[in-house]
Parts: sequence; structure tokens; C-alpha cells
Amino acid sequence: MIRAVWDNIKGLYSLIVGLSITARFLFSPQKTVHYPRKVVDPESLSSFRGPLELTPAADNSAQSRCISCQACVRACPGHCLTVVKGQGKAPIVWTYNFTLCCLCAACVESCPTGALRFSHKVYMVASSRQEMVLDLLSDLEKNAAVAND
Amino acid sequence: MNASNFINPFSIREDEGSFAGDFYTRNFERQARKDSIILNLGPQHPSTHGVLRVLVELDGEYVLRAEPVLGYLHRMHDKMGEVKTPYQYLPNMGRVDYLHPIAWNWAFVGAVERLASIEPPKRAEYLRIISCELNRISSHLLWWGAFVLDLGGVTPILYAFEEREMINDILQIITGSRLTMSYFRFGGVCADCDSRFIKLTKDFIPYLRERLKIYKALVTDNIILRRRLEGVGPMDTDICLRYGATGPVLRASGLSSDTRRNIPYSLYDNFEFAIPAGPSNDCFGRYLIRLFEIETSLQIIEQAIESLPDGPILIDKAPKANYKLPAGESYFAVEGARGQIGVHLVSDGGKNPYRVKLRSPGFSNLSLFAEAAKGTLLADAIAILGSLDLVIPEVDR
Repeated sequence: MIRAVWDNIKGLYSLIVGLSITARFLFSPQKTVHYPRKVVDPESLSSFRGPLELTPAADNSAQSRCISCQACVRACPGHCLTVVKGQGKAPIVWTYNFTLCCLCAACVESCPTGALRFSHKVYMVASSRQEMVLDLLSDLEKNAAVAND
Repeated sequence: MNASNFINPFSIREDEGSFAGDFYTRNFERQARKDSIILNLGPQHPSTHGVLRVLVELDGEYVLRAEPVLGYLHRMHDKMGEVKTPYQYLPNMGRVDYLHPIAWNWAFVGAVERLASIEPPKRAEYLRIISCELNRISSHLLWWGAFVLDLGGVTPILYAFEEREMINDILQIITGSRLTMSYFRFGGVCADCDSRFIKLTKDFIPYLRERLKIYKALVTDNIILRRRLEGVGPMDTDICLRYGATGPVLRASGLSSDTRRNIPYSLYDNFEFAIPAGPSNDCFGRYLIRLFEIETSLQIIEQAIESLPDGPILIDKAPKANYKLPAGESYFAVEGARGQIGVHLVSDGGKNPYRVKLRSPGFSNLSLFAEAAKGTLLADAIAILGSLDLVIPEVDR
């Protein structure tokens, strides 16, 4: 009988301890990042694998390093890349279907010239499937134009 | 078609039970008692953690029989292994079990390395151990939150996610992703760690130890939780072994069995850590053993990060997308957060493996549910289901 009463008192005390922890955390500062009012620290995104982008060539930032060797196209497990070779080695079409991509880095690691890399775009959104099919050559030119301005 | 044989599906009345429902329900109904209710738990019920469907026969609030129905999340991972080269198949491993992807990475990479006799460098082995144990902690933390959520405690999962996000931040530095990681490569790992990774990991270990004390005060000592779990769903060692259950479920039943000790792989032999066997074989025992395993993993990470050697992280001429496996077969087992993960690889020397068989611990652990749930209250059956730590993508593969 005494034991049962004591157990109940202990049980009630355990609830009070739990509630006091909850109360303490209620008045502690907020830990979450409220997007879009705040964004995460860009340093923590330095290794984040976002959608692919082409690495600009050393001499011309609007030019790609790609030599259209198709190594990435063959390595990709999801068949999400299309590279069409133009006259010479430079590609004329470089399409990347992000809906099929699993961000596995098979293309990045198979590229002999280091023409591919992961971007750090965490806030990318699209309202249709077609918007997820990215033309990386025009993106590269756009980035170069932004950088030159 | 003979008109008398034709059954109009829209004209089925409730009393024509034999025609209603799908194959599993009809089969299950056949052995049902007259006065019982048959209930479908899931496939889209929050407490079934994904798309598990459990058929239960109820007498009032007591479960007479239970039968899990699988396959709602079957993605043919075994078959995909046969139509892709090993290198292309590797990212699949992160998707089999999204809570402990690095252990699956390891099981497949280990099987390939064993078949091709590749020895990864020492630094890579250390990085593998650190990342795998960090990932194990994050898996256990999510389980802890979700399990208490199943039992009706909504707050603790928010505490668990705070630490889980920190682990995700740490693992993102080396793996590049936060959930379906594909970090291992044949003969090493894909990225080296930097000073930021080491600093964050070292800071995280004492922080989590402090937080575990809060977990204990907030949840483990809570009288409501203890009354819900103590003595519910006992599973003895015998039945665990018969169903092939591994991991915390088997250890809680009293058998100190862990792949990291039984079939030592990598450099786990070099580290000091205890393999606890549970204090009790009920839901509360399984709960305690997982919390204890977080501490075990912290010990391993602490030792590994102190003695992290320098050197390369990937062997020279590591296998790439066009790599052909030598003919033969191999099996590699690792200890995942839910038990023994095994990959059986058969190759005929061609471009793609001949067969990839994935052994997932969740599948075997789930088989115990039908046995353990018999005669319990429905709410206790949910507690048993939660205590098995099921990840349905892994069960279905």
C-alpha cells in the first residue's frame, strides 16, 4: 500500500520534471531558420550537392570545358544527360534533366576535363516538369554575363 | 461470358464478404471468427511509418490475429542491380534505407571489394566508421522521436530533430547530401573531411551526451511512457532467432549479438565498445537498448576521430562506371541501425552483376510482429510495431 502510494508520487514527480524541461525550452531562443526571412549560412552549403552546372573554362567564363566525349552520358545511371557535339569538340546542346537526376556524382567523377560540378542551389523551385530540364550551356552564359556586369 | 458467373463489382453488398476486399483481405477473412472485426491499419496510417499495411482481427480492443501486407513500396532494387553496372547501382543503396543509407553503402561496396579483392586505404576506413556511426545515431534519434510520437508524445520528436539536423549538417560536409547519401566508392570514399568536419564532430559528442540526459528526464523516466511500454510485447531469444531478427530487437531479447563483433569488418576490432544485451525483452528493453547504442556509437566516433590517420582516401585506379566485376560471388554483412544488412553479389564476369540479393533487417524484424501482437491491445500493438523500428522502403526494397 505504502509502496503503491510512493510509486504514484514518484510518477507524478517524473511528469513535473518533464514539464519543467518543456517549459525551459519554451523560453529558449528559436533554433529554426525561418525561410524566406532568414536563410542558412552559405558556408554550410559549400559542399551541398545541388543541380549540376558546367565549370567555366579558365580563359573564358562563358565557355565550357566540355569536350563532348560522352563519358558522363554513359556513366549516368538515370540517363538524365544529353550532350550533342558541334563542329570541333565544343558541345552545341547540353541538356540536363533534373527530374531524373539522383545527384550521385557519377558524371562529375567520370569527366576527364572537370567540366561538371555541383551547384549549391538549395532554393531552386519549378512549377512544371519542363522547367526542371535545364540547358546548362545557356545557364553558363547567363552566369558569365552576371559576373561581368 | 456466362451471365450467371458475372459479378457486378458495384452490386456487392456488405454481407457478401467473400467478394469484397482484395486478395489479402479475403484470405485473412477466411479464418476469422464470426464476432470479430477485421481492420486495415494502413497502408497510409501515420503510425505504420510509411506504407505498411497491417490486417488485424479484433475482438473489442484486443488483437486476435495480425498480418502485415508488404509490397506497397517495392522498387525492384534487386532487379536494378542486374541491369546497371555496380558503379551505377551504388546510388540506389542510399535509397533502400533512407535513415541509415551509409550502412547500405557499406554493405554493397564491401561485397564488391571482397569480390574484386580491393583493400581501401586506412583513412578511408576511419572515415567510413565515423560517417556510419554518425548516421546510426541520426537514425536512432529519428526512431526515438517517431516512437514516442506513436505513443502520443508529440514534443520529443522536436528535440530529436534538433540533434538530427546537426548530424545532417556534419554529414553534409563530406557526403554532400542530407538524406540519401552516396558517400562510399569502391576502394575508399568520395570526399575527404576538412577541419570544420572534425571540429563540429568533436563539439557534437559532448553536446549529445548532455542532451541524452535531457532525453532521460523528459521521456525515459516518464511514468506514462513506462506504463505504456513495460511488459508489452515480450520477444524471447528463441523466437527472435527463429524469425531471423537481428540488431537491437535481438539484443534486447538477451543475446549479445552484433555484426561488428561477430563477423568483424573494416577496423571495428581496433575500437573499444560494449555490445549491450537488453535488461528486458519487452518494448521498454528495446527502447533502452537503442538509447544505449547512441552512447556506444559516440564512443566509437570519439576513438576514431582522435586517431584519424593521414593518407589517401581512395585507391589509385578505383573502379569507375565501366568497371567489370570478376566472375564469382561474395557476401558482405554490416551492422545497420536495425540489424544485419547483407548483400549477396553474384557475377559472371559481365558488365552487370548476375544477381544482387539484399538482405534487409527490417523484413525479418517485421515478421515478429504477427507473433508478438497476438492477444495484445490495439494500442499496444502499435507500440510493438514502433519498437521494431521499421523503415518500409527497406522492408520492401
